[in-house]
Amino acid sequence: MSNFSVGFRTHGAVQMLDLNGELDAHTAPELEAAIEKCRDEQQYSLIINGAALQYISSAGLGVFMAYIEEMREAGGDIKIAALQPKVFNVFDLLGFPLLFDIVDDEAEALERFDNAPS
Amino acid sequence: MSVFSSGQSIRQALTSPRGTRGQRVLMAVLVGVCYVLGFLYHLMLWQTGQPATPALAWAYHAVITIGFGMAWYLLYQYIRVRYGSPAKVFWTTLLLGIFLLGIASLMSNIGAPGGIYLDVPLSLLTVVQLNLISLGAVAFGLLLLIQLRQLVLFKRTKSSQRNWYLMLGLILFTSVTALWVEPGAAEIILLIPAIVLITINAFRLSWIVYLSFKEKMVVSGLSLLLFILLLVGFAGLTDTDDAIMAGDLLSYYSPMLHTFTVLAFLFGILYCATSLLSLIFHLPTTTDFQRKAGEMAAMQSLTRLVSQVFDAETLYSTITSSPIEASLANTAWLVIPEVRDGAIRSRIVAATNTTPAFLNEVLDAKALYDEVTSSRETLHLPQAPADHRVAARPGDGIGSLIGIPLIARDRPMGVLFASKEVSMGFEDDDIDALKVFAAQASIALDNAHLFKEQLDKERLSRELDIAREVQQKLLPQALPRVDGATVAASSVSAQEVGGDYYDVAQVDEQRTAFIVGDVSGKGTSAAFYMAELQGIFHAVSRLAPSPVDFLSEANRALSGSLDRNVFISAVYGLLDVEKEELVLARAGHCPVATINLQGEARFVRSRGMGLGLDRGQLFRHALAEERIPLQPGDVFVLYTDGIVESRNADDEEYGYDRLLDALKEHRHEDATDLHRVLIDDLQRFTGHDYYDDDMTLLVLKWHGINLSGSLHSVAAVPYGQKRADVGVPELALPAE
Repeated sequence: MSNFSVGFRTHGAVQMLDLNGELDAHTAPELEAAIEKCRDEQQYSLIINGAALQYISSAGLGVFMAYIEEMREAGGDIKIAALQPKVFNVFDLLGFPLLFDIVDDEAEALERFDNAPS
Repeated sequence: MSVFSSGQSIRQALTSPRGTRGQRVLMAVLVGVCYVLGFLYHLMLWQTGQPATPALAWAYHAVITIGFGMAWYLLYQYIRVRYGSPAKVFWTTLLLGIFLLGIASLMSNIGAPGGIYLDVPLSLLTVVQLNLISLGAVAFGLLLLIQLRQLVLFKRTKSSQRNWYLMLGLILFTSVTALWVEPGAAEIILLIPAIVLITINAFRLSWIVYLSFKEKMVVSGLSLLLFILLLVGFAGLTDTDDAIMAGDLLSYYSPMLHTFTVLAFLFGILYCATSLLSLIFHLPTTTDFQRKAGEMAAMQSLTRLVSQVFDAETLYSTITSSPIEASLANTAWLVIPEVRDGAIRSRIVAATNTTPAFLNEVLDAKALYDEVTSSRETLHLPQAPADHRVAARPGDGIGSLIGIPLIARDRPMGVLFASKEVSMGFEDDDIDALKVFAAQASIALDNAHLFKEQLDKERLSRELDIAREVQQKLLPQALPRVDGATVAASSVSAQEVGGDYYDVAQVDEQRTAFIVGDVSGKGTSAAFYMAELQGIFHAVSRLAPSPVDFLSEANRALSGSLDRNVFISAVYGLLDVEKEELVLARAGHCPVATINLQGEARFVRSRGMGLGLDRGQLFRHALAEERIPLQPGDVFVLYTDGIVESRNADDEEYGYDRLLDALKEHRHEDATDLHRVLIDDLQRFTGHDYYDDDMTLLVLKWHGINLSGSLHSVAAVPYGQKRADVGVPELALPAE
């Protein structure tokens, strides 16, 4: 009875993950699996689209922490886009904007990937 | 033997009322009286030399018939409770026969018998002979029927019981008719039904199969002797020579008793003959039968054993060794499903007379297991090497193979395999016995699993109880007194243990540090980090009491131990009663709600990131302190996200605004009451009194004046109760 799902899209070299529903301690493993799948396919540039993400708990935030270092070391990044205000507030309270690129929409995130020094 | 002794106890228990001892003594006396009357009748005839009148003769027959009838009844009652083995039945019958027929034979050979002429005994000796021979012969006839009855009715069925009573009835009927019917053709025709029934009953021999070889030898010898004795007796009773013989005397004594005795002897002779022959024919198969019975007994005791074993490993080996101990197979192994690496795999968990390694070499254990499990039927390979899944060569000891599914509560528990060296080694009854055993073994396996699950659950629950107690001790049992302020706090966790933490510590005479923290995630792992934070708070707050220093030190200390995906949000404050100032810093935690006496409320949302998110300098650079000069009536509310994220039935969050509204409304209360009304407000909103998340609430109110101890608050609410156990948190008594 999971009320969370991850959708996959690709845009050039960037992998988009569409999060849907509530990301908490019970559903976090699904996001983990999704990110691991990208890693195994050597997709290190990820955009997390949070437009349909209703809720995130601290355990959900932990998933991003678990993989960010690895992605960056491999030359990629995890950028977070289009969060709803309430969900953004959770990221913001914890200081995530200091660690992650959290942007308003996907286009901006893609732009940042393009501009990033490779 | 055991069959008979168990039969005995049941018999005794079921024995119907047999009258009192006095009645039986009276009856025995009557038997004696009847017999003496008969004796006197013959004496009278001898004395007078005249035949009796018909009336007297009828009276005489009636008296002796009643007498012997009662004797039969008494003997039957006496013997029926003394059940014995077949050997004992034959042995006692033989001894009594030798004794009784011996008397009769002795009597018939004493002196020159005077004979009987015209229904009158010619001498006193004849009278004595007549009575004693009759007594001996008839008594033995009665005994014979009573004793053999035990054997005929062994393992009785409705029809065998009916046949027995029909035979007795016909014997009695034929005997009674002898009073009227003259010897000849009519008498023989009347005898035929009785003889047919006698023959039928002579083939009731079910007791034989239960005898051991030795017992069969003994009983066949005894039955031969009894057979000879009866033949001699029968000849004496039925010979038709001219000379006066025992038979003639008995026939004179009572034609009825004569016919009865002759028929009883006939039955005895036939029964001894069939017994003897049957015993001899059964002798060669005795060993097989004994072996089978031994196997069954072994299987039964092993079945009992498996139901008493709860340790899985012991149970596995008991299950595989049992078929071998019961000689049902040469080797046996048990394959059960196990969850490994997230998948169900079958594994040979026990093997007797073989090894899992060897089995995996000579056969495809998994394929065999899969077939039995999916079909749920017994797999029988009479010629195992011919099967493609078996690569065993003749010397490998797997000639025939059988796999029986172990199923309990409709769930497959595993498969028990057994093999024999020879091909076609398993007979149908072997397979049946193995199936019965397998059914028991399945239940035992199921019980063992349930037992283990229960044990694990209890152990886990015990350990969680301990963890909860330990964690409870990590939270303040009583808060330190703070001059000019009141403090109230509580914490509950959604599970047995949680990741929330709060504490208050006096740093020095004028400064008090307090903290509320929340480890990401829930449960046991969060609890460990919470414990670490507790240690850091007590150690570091005294050395580096300023918020930025403390949180930076805490971040440094925690960075080494936190998992990459775990972080801790915390808010730390330092209250200086001399300077009347509060300094706050927020490490990614929910902003502190504050309100003044005038009702101006806000959230203190200073910059800062969660502990453990950055392990370098960024954490410290990102952290900002907020200094707040204190005015009397200022209230500070520190909480974890469990409070603001609590949801009601409509899935609405309690949220920051409701918290602020409740605070505005009740800002005049002191910390203790304010704490209580905030919790009440939250519970009114959610509509339930359990928690989906860990929740911590700390309320600090600055009064500005040195309050007396009575207004000092507060502390700890039970921490770590399971959801649904927790009602409205009750506050502990104010600390002194």
